[in-house]
Parts: sequence; C-alpha cells; structure tokens
Amino acid sequence: MRTVKILERILAAIPIMLGVAILVFLFMRLTPGDPVDIMMGQGGAVSAGEMEQLRHEFHLDEPLYVQLWLFLKDAVRGDLGYSYIQKRGVITLIAERLPATIELAMGALFFALIIAMPIGIVSAVRQNSPLDRLSMAAAFLGISMPAFWLGIVLILVFSVTLQWLPVQGRIDYGVGLEEVTGFYVLDSIITRNGEALVSSLRHLVLPSVTLGAAVAAVVARVLRSSMLETLRSDHVTLARAKGAPERGVVLKHALRNALIPTVTVVGLQVGVLLGGNMIVETVFSWPGLGRLTVTAIFQRDFPLIQGAVMIYAFTFVMANLIVDILYTYLNPKITL
Amino acid sequence: MLMHKRHTSLVLIAALAILALLAAQCGATPTPERVVETVVVKETVEVEKVVMETVEVEKEVVVTQEVEVEKEVIKEVVVTPTPVPGRQTLIVGLSQAPTSLDPADHRSRLSETVIRNMFDGLVTRDTRSGVHLELAEEMNWLDEKTLEVKLRQGVTFHDGVEMTADDVVFTFDRIIQENAIEFPEPHTSPRQGLIAPLESIEKVDEYTVVMNFSGPWPPAMQLLVHQQIVPKHYLEEVGTEGFVANPIGTGPFKFVEGQLDDQIVLERFDDYWGGAPDLEPVGPACVEQAIFRVIPEASTRVAALLAGEVDIIQSVPSELIDTLAQTPGIQVKTAPGTQPQWLQLNVSNPLFEDVGVRQALNHAMDKDLIVDAVYGGRAVPLPGPLSPFNNFVNTDLAPYPYDPDMALELLAEAGWADTDGDGILDKDGQPFAFTLDTIEDWRPLAEAVATLYRDIGIDATVRFWEYSVVQPQLLACERQAYMDDWGDSAFDPVGHFEAKWHTFVEGEPYGRGNFMCYSNERVDELIKQGETTADTDERRAIYDEAQAIVYEEAPAVFLILPEEAEAASDRVQNWEPASDSRVNLHDVCLAP
Repeated sequence: MRTVKILERILAAIPIMLGVAILVFLFMRLTPGDPVDIMMGQGGAVSAGEMEQLRHEFHLDEPLYVQLWLFLKDAVRGDLGYSYIQKRGVITLIAERLPATIELAMGALFFALIIAMPIGIVSAVRQNSPLDRLSMAAAFLGISMPAFWLGIVLILVFSVTLQWLPVQGRIDYGVGLEEVTGFYVLDSIITRNGEALVSSLRHLVLPSVTLGAAVAAVVARVLRSSMLETLRSDHVTLARAKGAPERGVVLKHALRNALIPTVTVVGLQVGVLLGGNMIVETVFSWPGLGRLTVTAIFQRDFPLIQGAVMIYAFTFVMANLIVDILYTYLNPKITL
Repeated sequence: MLMHKRHTSLVLIAALAILALLAAQCGATPTPERVVETVVVKETVEVEKVVMETVEVEKEVVVTQEVEVEKEVIKEVVVTPTPVPGRQTLIVGLSQAPTSLDPADHRSRLSETVIRNMFDGLVTRDTRSGVHLELAEEMNWLDEKTLEVKLRQGVTFHDGVEMTADDVVFTFDRIIQENAIEFPEPHTSPRQGLIAPLESIEKVDEYTVVMNFSGPWPPAMQLLVHQQIVPKHYLEEVGTEGFVANPIGTGPFKFVEGQLDDQIVLERFDDYWGGAPDLEPVGPACVEQAIFRVIPEASTRVAALLAGEVDIIQSVPSELIDTLAQTPGIQVKTAPGTQPQWLQLNVSNPLFEDVGVRQALNHAMDKDLIVDAVYGGRAVPLPGPLSPFNNFVNTDLAPYPYDPDMALELLAEAGWADTDGDGILDKDGQPFAFTLDTIEDWRPLAEAVATLYRDIGIDATVRFWEYSVVQPQLLACERQAYMDDWGDSAFDPVGHFEAKWHTFVEGEPYGRGNFMCYSNERVDELIKQGETTADTDERRAIYDEAQAIVYEEAPAVFLILPEEAEAASDRVQNWEPASDSRVNLHDVCLAP
C-alpha cells in the first residue's frame, strides 16, 4: 500500500516539474539582457550578420511559443540542449557538477547535525541554564549571519592567518585522484588514496561550516523546543515515575518523539543546502552546480539556467517526498 | 515495531560515528600510500636499465623499445602523487571563467589569456602596445590591400606535426567563412568581426600565404594579435568537438585537463620553438606546469594569494592594492589600463541638452582627487574621449581643468542657480537632480563622482544595475547618465570610435556602445574615413579632429583610466602585467 502511495507521489511530481519548466522558460525570456549581445563583448567590431547568425542558431529569432515548444519537446526526451557558452550538453555539465554540490551539502549536514543534536538536547534538559542561553544566542547568530560574510571571516582566520585550511577549490591538484563517482571523499577511499582523502576533507571543512551554520542553528532551535514539549508530556512523567534512569528517559522517551518535527526541518534544510549553495560555492570557488548556475545567469546562458533550475526544483520536490515517507516510519499514525 | 525503529536510528548514528572515525584515521596517516607509489616508479627504472644494457648488442631494434619504455615511465609519473602544489607549478587566479579554448570560437579577454599560452599568432603584443612577429617571420604589404606573410619554419604543434601555410589558411578560413565551425551546430566564428576586412587567404608555398583585404586596413597588425593558429590536420581528424575537449597549438604550454569554470591545467611544451625573437627570453617556458583557476570572488582571490595557494592574481580590487603592496612576500604591479571611464550624459535628455552644462560637469570634476582618493594614485585623468596610451590620442587635448567657479558660471549661463538657498541649483523651480547609473564594479568611483557633484549643488544619486539589464535602456535613451568603461585593448581608435562615438545604427556595429544618444555628422564621417585610410599621418589628422569635436561637445564627462593591477607572490620572477590583461606565462619563472 505504501509503495503505491509513494509511486503516486512521484507521478504527482511530473506536473510540478512541467510547471517549473514553463515558468523558468518564461521568466528567463522576460529578464532583460540579450545573450548574443553579451557574447560579443566590447572590443573590436561586430558584423550585423554575425549577430543574426547567432540569434538564428539559438532559435532566438523564433516567436516565444515556438521556442517554448522546442524546449519542452527536447526536455521530455531528456535533452536539455547545449550550453550557449560552453558548447557542451547541459545534462553533461550538470552531471559533472552535481557530485560536488551533493558532497558539500552532505558535509554541511554532517556538521550541522553534530553541532545541533547535542546543543538541542542539552539546552532543553537544562532549560534557562547559562549553557542554554549561550547556545540559543549562538543559534540566533547562526541564523542571522550572512553566509557570504561568515565565509570570508572563516577564510581570513583559518586560511590566511592560521594557514590551517585551504581557501578555495575542492582538492589540491596533483594528488593523483582517479575519479570514480565524482564524490572526492568517497573516491579517495575507494582508490585508497590517503593524500587525496586528506586534501578533499581539508577543502570540505570551511565551506561545510559556512553552509551548515544556519542549518545547525535552525535544527538546534527546533529540537530544543520539541524536546521541551515532550519532556513535559505524560509518558515522560510516567517513565520518570517508574524510576527509569534520566539518561534513558531523555534519549529514549523524549528524543524519539521530539525527532518527528526535527526530521521535517532537516529534510527541508537538505533542499536548502542543495539549492542555497550559490553564495557559498562562489565564495569558496567550489566547482558545483551553484557556481555553474551563477556563471550561467551572468552569461545569459538560457539552456544551462533552465536545466539547473529544473534540477533544483526536482531536488526540492524529492526532499519533500522523502521527508513525508520518513515521517510515516517515525510516527505510524501519519499516512502518506 | 518500536524497537526495530529505535535500532535503525541507533545504527544510523553509529554508522555516522564510524564514518567520522574512519575519516579522521585515514586523514592522520596518509604516508603509507605514497611509499607504495614510489616503489612502482623504482621498478620501471630498473626496466630501463635492462634496456640500456641491450643497447650494446642490437642497435636498431633497441631504439624502438627504448621509446616505448620511456612512455611507460612518463605515465607512471602522472599517477604518482606529487607534493602539493609542486615547486614548478604556477597557479593563476582568474577573475572570470573563460568561455572557450577554441581560438576561433569566443569573444572574451579571459579566454584569450588562457588560449595565448597554448597557441601562437602570426604576431604578438608585448606588455604594452608594441606588436612583434611571432609565427610570421616576415610580413610585407604587396599593396594597400594585400599582405604577404612568410612563415617561420620548423615550428611544430604539440603533437609534433609541423605548422605550415595550410594551417594558417585553414585557421583564417575557419574564421571568415560562414558556418565554418560545425559544433555544436554549424555557426560562424564570433571573431569574424575582429578581422572583417579580410576577404580571402591563399597559400603561395609551404611557408608563404597572402591575405587579401577589401580595402586598406590600418589596424591590421594590432588586430591580428588576437587570432591564433590552429592545426588543420588535427581539427579535420577530431572535429571542433574533439578539439575543444583537447586543444593543441604551437604555444609554450600543452593542454592537460580542465573545465572552463573550474581550472585548466597546462604543461610545458618542451619542443617549443622559442617564441617571438624580439621578446626575451626565447626558448621553452620556465615553469613545468601552469594552472589557471577561476576564483570569481575578489576577496577569495586575494585570500588565496595571501595563503600561498595561487601565485598570480588578476584584477586586484583598488581598495586592496595598498594592503597587498605592504604585505611581505607579495608584489603588486600595474600596467596602463585599457578601460577608460566616462560619465556618459544622455544628450537627448533636457537636463544635458546644453553643451555649457555638459562642459560645466567636466569642469566640476576633480579628477586628481579621484585618482588619489579612489585609486591611490594608480590611475590617470582622461585627456578626452581616448585613453592617453592609445596610439592615436590627440596630444593637443588636456584633461578639462578642475574649476568649480567656471562650472558654476557655465551653469548660471544655462539658467541654473541656487535661488531658494537649499544648496541645490534650480531652474524654473526644478532642482538640478539626476540619477547616475552604473554597475557594481565601479561603486567607489561612482560614489566619489556623485559626491563631487553634490558639493557644487547638483543632486546626483547613484543607482547600480546589472549591465545586461541597463544596456537596452541606454541604447533607447531612457536613462540620464551612465558611468562605465569601454575596452580599448587594440590601442587603436577604430573599433572604439565606431562603437562609442558614432551615431547608433540599429543592427550594425556603429554606435552599439553609444549610451549618450550622441550624434554628430562630421564625427560619423571622420570615423568612416579613419576605417579605410592607410596612411598613418592622414589617420592621425582624422582622429585628431574627431577627438577635438567630441572633447568640445562633451557628450560625456571624461573621467579617468585606472591601471591594471595584478599581484603575485615574491617567488614569481620575470613577470609583468600586460595592458591587454594577458597573463603571459612563457617568460615567468618560480623561485624555489
């Protein structure tokens, strides 16, 4: 029964994706800025023929509905076209970058959880203690701090001054990593390349912390408040009355129930981590989807932007779906 | 059921913990891996020794064997982890991503910066505006429209094939012929416009070609610098798709691997013919490996240099030049820039219709103060529409002198005075107020300019745009005043005047950067004359007159020309930033 429901939900994603595709296409065309003009730059002369030629090549001289039809027809067949600028398939370009983005998101999530889980639990158990106040103040700071600023500060402290961690990039060149999956940490382990593993982990730290800080703050606050709620509930009181050890009460009875809203938030944050990485990827020159998209936007590389935004939309839809599915496992009372 | 779920979450946490531990452990002990790799290399060295011994017995057979073994050794070295980053690896931080590595299929300066380290042209340019013979050994104008090019002999492409007249003919045909580039869809080279007067090119013999132009083309040499020679045999074999994936040229560096918006790795071409004989040093490049890494964020670029991760960075933000120059271990160098800045006034707007008002705005601008305060002295005032370093700058023109009294007088003649005593000039009850549009890159300059205008009673407010958004509005004369540059890397007024100061003509190159809605028949006429006059003195007279008219009519406030600032670590030797932003790595060495 559950499998059928899951399949239903996946099918329901199709019209959403179609809607996204049409909206992205239209918004891109409404944005001022002519890709052909941008391609020509300033220096030297440009012949009118050259510009016509380029417009024709990219079907920019066709009416909008014809362009939309051509785009959708190809998109349905899994062909998102060629990048105007890079002259390579959009799917290929995105596939090359996706592992970098996912690796960074996982790094950020890992960082967020190891920070947020203990803080959330402890500050709920010791409500209003100095520790609670301090960690909630830190969480507030974490939410309000712009990623751009945090990234630069971390670079200045840990890379420039202390020289502990690298400023930018994913891995040092020359460590001889053979790409297998595109996930450098994983590839280093598979190919047993210790130097590459150290290098890729070192490069991962600062961007993960920058990207994960806001998530850690959100998760810590949600976990704390839902812990406070469950700690006051009847079944926790009963467990305590039965004389169960406090540690067990907190971890088994309270945390388990407090995790339900937390999982929702984490799931949605995964979407944010995958989709909100443009700034962090730009600051750290992380060669992922965010960087690719930002470059494409400035170059008005329509096919590439469309492709990237569709991948982002797909990620959000999927993250939501996975959260919903996880939910039913955590709380059998809820169905899809 | 409950128990089962609890277990899964516990297992998950445990798995995460184990993963973290594993990661930490692996991170702590990287050395054994390296030992294994070196063993492999040692083994191959032994094989080589065996071969050497057999040399004495059979000479002919051994030669081929030896070559094979050598290849194997090289492969092993590539796989072996080298210390990071190697001594002889030079890393350049680029401010933007190149758009292509095909010399015929891009229109961006940064692409050319990378490309010119892998490819040579018939001619090249030094770090200023001088043009020197490169792959051409001799160039002679047979008449006003015919250029004979004698090619250097014995130059090879990275695959060992010799470069001949066929390659040169192929290169230029690929640029000038319609739809000559077949990938991803047939299209014409975006560089055709840079060499528009070239009608055909013919091979005379293996090492001579003749170029036929539609008319006299004075800036030919400066513009030929921007076309690089590609290998005919290779492109015919692998097509454009294969070529952009693995480009080969005759340049000092070979392509190894890379992605355009991440990093491009090059390796020294040991059989390089040497490079332009006029420009020392001649010979193979000094560094073994060069990496161009794209770091779009300026603060990150600077941080990467400070942390020693990159050796040279481009486009140092002006506010950071002084800090960097004072940092031990860092050298900052500048070259005369090629991006003159003007405040372009919309002459069709009632506010700026009056020539007197426009001249007043020029007199009200304290350019020396801006040079000092905004650029720390690393800029020069513009003497008129052109950069003072342009080969055809009108030397009779001097920057509009800063004279606020004269500015107020001129404004008063046009009816502007502060009648209500609020500190802002007014006329017919309307205050003198306008929006100064610009792009984020020029924020400090724009704010300084606006402040100087407010000082004399003009209410200027700054607004920032994305270029591609504001550009169509500018061409449609919908904005009031726009501050930006227009690149001038050819040091010749031809492309510059055509784009900037000619009347805008829809669908043509003329006036495509004329954001002032400026139109002067005489100037248009002079621009057309300048395009087809070959005699240098005649051209000088033509452009002198055009510049004088534009200076007098002042459709723009002629501001300043910032220097190009690049920074490098002290290890980088024999490095000089170029005016055309090219990072030429052929000459650069790295100290140990």
